[in-house]
Amino acid sequence: MDVRSVRRSFGEKLALAGVDLEVDAGRVCALLGPNGAGKSTLLRILTGLITPGGGAAHVAGVDVAADPFEARRRIGFVPSGDRTFYLRISGIENLVFFGRLYGLSRGEARRRAEARLADVGLEEAAGSRVNTYSHGMQKRLSVARALLLDPPVLLVDEATHDLDPVSARRVRQLVRRAAADGAAVVWATQRLEEIRGFADQVLVLDRGTVRFFGAVEELMLRSHARRYVLRIRSDGPQLPAPDAIQEIGGHGCLVEPVGTSADKIRLTLDADVQLGDVLARMMAAELAILDCTQERSEIEEAFLRLTGDEAA
Amino acid sequence: MSVTAAPANIRREAGKLGAFLRRDLLVQMSYRTGLISDWVNLLAQVAIFAYVSKLVDPSKMPAFGGSRGSYIAFVSIGIAVSGFLQVGIGRLMTAVRSEQLMGTLESLLVTPTRSTTLLLGSVSYDLIYVPIRTVVFLLLVAGLLGVEFDAGGLLPGLAILATFIPVVWGIGAVTAAVVLTFKRGGGAVGIATFALTVTSGTYFPISLFPDWVEALARLNPLAIALDGMRATMLGGAGWMQALETIAMLMPFTITSLMCGAAMFRWAMRREQKLGSLGIY
Repeated sequence: MDVRSVRRSFGEKLALAGVDLEVDAGRVCALLGPNGAGKSTLLRILTGLITPGGGAAHVAGVDVAADPFEARRRIGFVPSGDRTFYLRISGIENLVFFGRLYGLSRGEARRRAEARLADVGLEEAAGSRVNTYSHGMQKRLSVARALLLDPPVLLVDEATHDLDPVSARRVRQLVRRAAADGAAVVWATQRLEEIRGFADQVLVLDRGTVRFFGAVEELMLRSHARRYVLRIRSDGPQLPAPDAIQEIGGHGCLVEPVGTSADKIRLTLDADVQLGDVLARMMAAELAILDCTQERSEIEEAFLRLTGDEAA
Repeated sequence: MSVTAAPANIRREAGKLGAFLRRDLLVQMSYRTGLISDWVNLLAQVAIFAYVSKLVDPSKMPAFGGSRGSYIAFVSIGIAVSGFLQVGIGRLMTAVRSEQLMGTLESLLVTPTRSTTLLLGSVSYDLIYVPIRTVVFLLLVAGLLGVEFDAGGLLPGLAILATFIPVVWGIGAVTAAVVLTFKRGGGAVGIATFALTVTSGTYFPISLFPDWVEALARLNPLAIALDGMRATMLGGAGWMQALETIAMLMPFTITSLMCGAAMFRWAMRREQKLGSLGIY
């Protein structure tokens, strides 16, 4: 997938200000951004639902604007909405119907539908009406539909935003498997925690502008201020006040109380300060560190920094 | 390549119509009560017009083929043909609207399917079901109420109907375009359907209208089709009459089809440009 300088406005509002994106076969690119960042607009342009205001997008070598029908044959799309099927008919009949719209014969559509339903673990519910499916099952059905033709490109729009963790993980596994089979995947999401270990690349969009595009590890390096929550106990007569602990921590270390809890403090470290050094100084001052957790992941830190919401 | 590509594309698109047909058949079968009540309504309709017919003096009815038939014979042709009008206009609009509301419209539009196929596919079930319903209606009228249809006029009558259906489909495509663009349109479509039906002679002869309304009504394609079908199916007029009616309908058919297809494509492009296809 190759997107070059794609622009789009809705009236006065700029939705995409020249987006570039390249995703190779077998890779998962997370499209990260807050509400209104332009993620869905970009996906809708790639599927031909919206025409771009400028720039070009190629899907598996096909120009989306010049030949939208050919491009759609190469795209599997998992929309964000939860009502994208005919609820009164069964899961398999829905898949066969959409398979035929992709040009498959009835027999071939049925064969592929059965295979995909088995892949997503819905073979037992295949004959049941979709209105009896849980939300997670509908999402898996949506993934099955997107993979019917083994498309070289898979576009997934906020597929897990309202799923429970187990269902969300299952959907991610299905998509990861599609990537392993050679699909280039674009995964739009607001859930920062899900991209670590899942996505290979990240594109951070904010108000239509690309803030970052690169590997997940590179994004994590963008996090500067790091926050940790410590549970501490004094081996001395009493627990020192936060200002005293800050003095112990030294330069580049901000200490604040966490709520009303007496034994918890929040530690915010500057980029050039090592957590280990600070903890060592605290232990030398007879403070026992019972627990130390990162308050925000590096991805979240980087994301907030890139989108200008660091204060949040 | 382009020589073989065009028929292949047409075959591929035509094959999709079967998928729409099966989808809608399954959906209809899941609403068994609705299906049963439709047939009960059909019987009720036959009964109502049978009684109304007793009130109407046959000498007041227009003559077809030199003889004046009963009111039930007159109105049964009207009801049969106006059924196609309601399907073509109402159902096409409803189909697009319900796909919008169900959230399935975008799922359809991301498939490599032509807008014409989507439109035809949306009414493919009705295009099969309504003729069956119409035939059953006419058989009931003939069997239970003794209305005599001219056997020799059936084929010419069907030829007229086949020319008239695309007129309706074209108008339906315009209404679907209106729904895509304005998201509503039921009121305007209702008024248009009402105007077309009332001035068509479906339920009473248009000769009852004041002269100037009658003159306008004679330009109504439904009125032209009805007149021709009554002449062939009730009056025994043959192919000459049918061909004359078809010739009168043809400009409407071509104009309506072209306008419908062009407006629907324009509406789709406009929505893609505005990015409001999924908004309802």
